[in-house]
Amino acid sequence: MPSTIHVEILRQSTPDDAARTERFAIPYRPNMNITSVLGEIALNPITADGAPTTPITYDSNCLEEICGSCAMLINGRARMACSTLVDTLQKEHPDKPIRLAPLSKFPVVRDLAVDRAVLFENLKVVKAWVPIDGTYDLGPGPRQFPQTQEARYPLSNCISCTICMEVCPQFNDQTNFVGAATIAQARLFNMDPAGSVLKQDRLRALAGDGGIQECGFAQNCVEACPKLLPLAESISITGRDAMLQQLKDLFTR
Amino acid sequence: MATSAPPIPTHSSVRGIKKVQPLHPDTGHSFLWHKLHSLSGLIPIGAFLIEHILSNIEALGGPAAYGHQVRLLNSLPQVRVLEWTFIFIPLAFHATYGLWIALRGRATVNVYPWAGNWGYLTQRITGLIAFAYIIQHVWRQRFSGVMLPEHPGAAFAKVQHELHNPWMLALYIVAMIATCWHFSYGIWLFAAKWGITPGNRARKRFGQLCAAFGTVLCILGLASIYAFVGNPKFANAPADAFAPPAITQPAPAPPPPNSTNPSQPGIVQ
Repeated sequence: MPSTIHVEILRQSTPDDAARTERFAIPYRPNMNITSVLGEIALNPITADGAPTTPITYDSNCLEEICGSCAMLINGRARMACSTLVDTLQKEHPDKPIRLAPLSKFPVVRDLAVDRAVLFENLKVVKAWVPIDGTYDLGPGPRQFPQTQEARYPLSNCISCTICMEVCPQFNDQTNFVGAATIAQARLFNMDPAGSVLKQDRLRALAGDGGIQECGFAQNCVEACPKLLPLAESISITGRDAMLQQLKDLFTR
Repeated sequence: MATSAPPIPTHSSVRGIKKVQPLHPDTGHSFLWHKLHSLSGLIPIGAFLIEHILSNIEALGGPAAYGHQVRLLNSLPQVRVLEWTFIFIPLAFHATYGLWIALRGRATVNVYPWAGNWGYLTQRITGLIAFAYIIQHVWRQRFSGVMLPEHPGAAFAKVQHELHNPWMLALYIVAMIATCWHFSYGIWLFAAKWGITPGNRARKRFGQLCAAFGTVLCILGLASIYAFVGNPKFANAPADAFAPPAITQPAPAPPPPNSTNPSQPGIVQ
């Protein structure tokens, strides 16, 4: 392993600034991840040419792949900064600098931080919650079969990192596709005995423009998802449910 | 408020990428059009593709057998209505809507070279090949040249003349492979997207089935191409297999020597 890691980072100061690349040389330590690389730069924000600069701005919180904040393009691929190890990258591209860039399909706020509000807007549109008003004690919720719990648990692991949307060929400004994460969350709450009261609303929302029909089944979402959600399965089942809802609405609504 | 952050612009002009808009609930008809596009690929277009390839297999039996098949299809009741309702109109819709779908996608195989992603790209490329091929095929074989509905016997020769051009032959072979790929992968996509095969194992198994089906269909299609160009028995097929045989005059015998009247050979006057 080399004693120094070379890093190239695509930076911009404001949303409208031109992007520029800055290069850094970082002392290597075993088991580094991208978060610790960015931490080293923050400790000593000087480029490889010796010019002083600012620490890299990026979203992060938990540093253990559970908050979903630190998704970025690492060597061109959407990955989590916290769970991507330098050693793995060195094996992928030996003797090449590590390239960091912001996610390409979301507006840049600054450096590697992007505005991922579209996911949260989509989650609101499909009402990805269990509707309980909370003004008085509703008592215990309806019972869930263990089989339902087991099916729902993997879906509840979603960390809203938006990697499934970034890697999707259909998620772009032409289709305005909703993305796999929102569809999986709609399914999660459709399967909840209390949350299923909003099932029809969710399925109708997903049949709007940019809805589930825009999926091209490239299945990049499944390959890239850091939490291994059953996304293709969710799109398949929710697609069927959405179509049955549309058929039912056609004859009964 | 002075402390509030300025609104984030809707697009970043520097990177040339517009912001992806949130879902529009309950608006538009793209769900219906996408489902019709998906369904039309199987029924009627896919069903017609199978019929077309099975009919072409008759060409292995020669110009007369192929001509009989063409005559049989053209003797269906209201065949022109059937042709427009179940072939041309669905095909035109599937092709144009599919082109629109393909143009709106962003292929990413350079960054994410995964099997499903290649399948996504290949479905669009094979669709575009089929689009270009079918336009020329329908124009040249159905709407120009000898009209086959009226002259079914000319079908074999018409196709054979077309495939005599090696570039056309190459185009037909490429288009046959592309179309069979597009159809069989399309069946797999249909089952996946309509929730018929949601599970990973179900999708994998059905994928193997679709691959086998597509391979068989493609071999049948290529065999029919071979029937027109590869079989020496039917090389230089008659222009019309059903035309009455032309009356051939026997060659006039040479007049005998010392003949004074060549029109009455053998009679010396």
